[in-house]
Amino acid sequence: MVRGATLLQAQRWAGTLTATFAFIACAVSGELGPVTMTLFPVGLVGSVLLARRVEGRAQWAWTAMLAAVLVILLMGVIAGHLDIVLAAAEFAVLLCIHRLWHRRTERDELLLLLLSLLLLCAGAALAAELSYGFAFLGFAVSGTWAMALTHLRFAIEAGRGPSGSAALLHSRRVATPALLGGLAALSLLGLAGAALVFFTFPRVSIGGLRRSARPGPVAGLGDKVDLARGGTIADDPRVALRVRLDPPPPGGVRDLGMHWRARSLSRWTGHGWSAADGTVLPAARLPPRPAIGKTGTLVAADVEVVGTFADGIVFTPEGWPLSVSFRRPGSPRMPAQRLYRNPAGDLFYQPVDGNDLRYLVMADAGSPDLTILRGRGQRYPSWVAADLEVPAALDPRVRALAERLGGGKDPAEAAAAIERWLTESLRYTRDLPGPVPDPVASFLFDRRAGHCELFSSAMVLMLRSLGVPARNVTGYFGGRSTDAGYYAVRAGDAHSWVEAYFPEVGFVPFDPTPPSGRGGVQEGAWAKAVLLWDALQQRWRAFIVDYDLIAQAQAMRRVGQLLSETGRRLAGKGGGADRLRAMVETTLVLLLAGALFLAVRRFRGRHRPGRTPVLTPDQRRALRLWRAARSRLRRGGIGIRTNGTARELAREVPALEEVAAAYARVRWGGERLSASEARKLLRRLDGRLDPVAPDARP
Amino acid sequence: MTPAWKRRLSFTRMGRWYTGLTIAIGLAATNTGNNLLFLVLGLLLASIIVSGILSEQSLREVRVERRLPAVAIAGQPALIGLLARNGKARAPSFSLEVREARGDVPGRGFLIVLPARQAAEVAYRFVPERRGVHRFAQIEVATRAPFGLFEKSRPVDAPAELVVFPRQVPPPATAPRALAREGESPEDRIGLGLEVHSLRDHRPGEDARSIHWRSSARAGRLIGVDREQERRKQVCVVLDQRRLSGEPLERAVEVAAALVSRELDAGAEVSLALAGEFLGGGSGEAQRHAALRMLALVQPGTLELPPPRPDPKAAVLEVRG
Repeated sequence: MVRGATLLQAQRWAGTLTATFAFIACAVSGELGPVTMTLFPVGLVGSVLLARRVEGRAQWAWTAMLAAVLVILLMGVIAGHLDIVLAAAEFAVLLCIHRLWHRRTERDELLLLLLSLLLLCAGAALAAELSYGFAFLGFAVSGTWAMALTHLRFAIEAGRGPSGSAALLHSRRVATPALLGGLAALSLLGLAGAALVFFTFPRVSIGGLRRSARPGPVAGLGDKVDLARGGTIADDPRVALRVRLDPPPPGGVRDLGMHWRARSLSRWTGHGWSAADGTVLPAARLPPRPAIGKTGTLVAADVEVVGTFADGIVFTPEGWPLSVSFRRPGSPRMPAQRLYRNPAGDLFYQPVDGNDLRYLVMADAGSPDLTILRGRGQRYPSWVAADLEVPAALDPRVRALAERLGGGKDPAEAAAAIERWLTESLRYTRDLPGPVPDPVASFLFDRRAGHCELFSSAMVLMLRSLGVPARNVTGYFGGRSTDAGYYAVRAGDAHSWVEAYFPEVGFVPFDPTPPSGRGGVQEGAWAKAVLLWDALQQRWRAFIVDYDLIAQAQAMRRVGQLLSETGRRLAGKGGGADRLRAMVETTLVLLLAGALFLAVRRFRGRHRPGRTPVLTPDQRRALRLWRAARSRLRRGGIGIRTNGTARELAREVPALEEVAAAYARVRWGGERLSASEARKLLRRLDGRLDPVAPDARP
Repeated sequence: MTPAWKRRLSFTRMGRWYTGLTIAIGLAATNTGNNLLFLVLGLLLASIIVSGILSEQSLREVRVERRLPAVAIAGQPALIGLLARNGKARAPSFSLEVREARGDVPGRGFLIVLPARQAAEVAYRFVPERRGVHRFAQIEVATRAPFGLFEKSRPVDAPAELVVFPRQVPPPATAPRALAREGESPEDRIGLGLEVHSLRDHRPGEDARSIHWRSSARAGRLIGVDREQERRKQVCVVLDQRRLSGEPLERAVEVAAALVSRELDAGAEVSLALAGEFLGGGSGEAQRHAALRMLALVQPGTLELPPPRPDPKAAVLEVRG
């Protein structure tokens, strides 16, 4: 048998749980120091195990320690090493630990709850993640338990005194699952109210003490490729980019087969690639696409780079990028980021602050086909010289293979032939070759299998050996549609492909990696969970974190439109409008009739003298039993008066004694009466009345 | 008359802090535009609203009445019952405090839960400090449920009076003459006493206990006996309160009450004579109740009152201040 908790235990656990959720709300920001992050769990466990032995002892030591910490934190704030909100949160965590260790009086418990609330607020200032939302939900439920049970505990203590309340406080019949479930339901009611207040409270911000963004860049895609690494490429399901396309892909495809270009790497290092030297300059405008006789479709890609992967590179969709805008639609503030471009055409931004970044890329999505690329000749400008460099130590077999596949052909034909051969003849594997002397030769002639970087590297080197400028390009390939209306490009979708230069056209992408090996696999449960979490996080951000005056006005307008649309439809003519009108009218009439019925019943019930209260099923059964017994007496010729109580009548008719006693017990004493018991009583009464016993008569 | 809709609302200590924090968080949210603070603010405001609705639900249709003890004596604890009845069809009431308000007597009782359509009684201990009338005015039903942030109470008019009898003190040792303890005195007429009045023939159907067996044996027939009527001792306790007030009056009233009780316990017929008031002789609990009630209500007298007039047939026990 599962034993519930006593009221005292439940109350203490609810308080502890509330403090824990408040701490989690702060901790998910990742800004609390390692000492605080360690101290709270240790303090929490210690308080559960040891607090009763320590309570009330060595208060001076606690006070001294807290004072010392306060001084240190204050000094940190004054010296500018510590953010004031963070310092306050850390001190609140310490106060919480102190209170967890000293919980004797009502004041202690209330202080613990108030400190937990302060921690939750500090968490709101420090974190904006979805994890905060879950901590908030936990806080709402456990806080409701804690407040209600704390109130109950101390109300009992105050109402009954220490000795009178002890039994109740240690009873397992108070904090029952039903009570806790009811309180949890109450917290849901509170959350619904919170949502209502949240969405309707006017978002008029003064902005006086807005907290600055978190500093510190985080590494993302690098500017080097090392082909001699060992091991297996990990399938990382973390979301790197969230993209929305306008126009969206036709048919609402689940997997977006699109390259997201990061940067090009032109310099061969012997076992990989690195970026070519060049000055990065501000780019107020991007160069227009050369006229190639064919205009593509204009695509607007709304790209959101997750902070962890935002390292200053602008990701662009397939095609020729025409403009990049960091301005958020509807936002009055000027963006902090500026666009930069290097000689290779790669796009960058500054400053990098480690936060998520959102920008809009307009691109000409059209890709020149072979008919356009053919016959462009091999007169290349000087600035592509770096993309023509052939390593001196290039394996002659690579050169021979390139010659065999594309020798004597038009550069476009040669590129297409090499791309086709690599895709069709070699196998994709996620296993890396390890430290081999020539990774490309090993890939082409020994292992005949490799990952995307080997495919692209091989093609670049073969094209260069044929005198065609080519470079390795890194970025992502793919995008999985989510419920939140965007495509998620994940870290495991990192990819590498080739760009070859054609005069008057520019660099054109080729992807020699077999289609099955492009991007990540990411079909497991974990990958799905990550995607689901990210979608949830986006909804959280869209509906909660970024909900501002504009969004509020839009929401109100939408409600207004909905109402006016309903009104318009109600006022309109035609089958649909008539049906809707009839439905609304019927509903209104039914609601009114129901309300009227309830009001009349209530009014009559209130004003009826000596109204009969609603009876429980057992009481109704007892009443039926009593009426049946009287009816039997009447049928048996035993006249009884109508104005006596059951007991009085039983004194007059002894045969009625048992039924009268049962009736009184159930009708007034709150006892139960089953249908079989009632039948038994009636049978026994029948036995006493038939044959008409002389002693049964009054 | 207090209307049924009237409510009193006050903050608890937790409620004051909670409301203060809610305002502070509201200001912080407005200042920073931090939506998560708005979310916290929403939760706090919603909790206040939910608390208000539930506390009203707890108080609604709860009827209360007071049950006073039959006897209350100054200095001795008495239990006063407060009966609460939940008239709601389904919803229970939680964390109810039922308490006296605006009267002479402070007292309260606490009910954790009062199920729908059920009644429960709580009692509080009351030790009256003085004799006399104690007035009750209202009963307040209050709740801090569900969170203990606010206390909402509903006053219910329930006027009542409780007459507290004088404090019990040991009766003074009375001089034999003044005490005049004569026991029951026989009267020369047939009655239900113990002494034999006369013998006569036994009447058929008469109680067998009336047969005088020794005389019957001697006479050879059943002889019945008539017994004498016995009259109880008559005592009149006299208290002249005209010149008394304050502590001397209280002591005199307590002594008078002690004498009345002692004589009634001894089986006497006791009458009580006060300045301006007289209680005729009698015995039993009803007489004790009447006498003590009269003493409980004695006020400091004035010389305008007529002096006490003791029962001339009774032995007088005069109490002096």
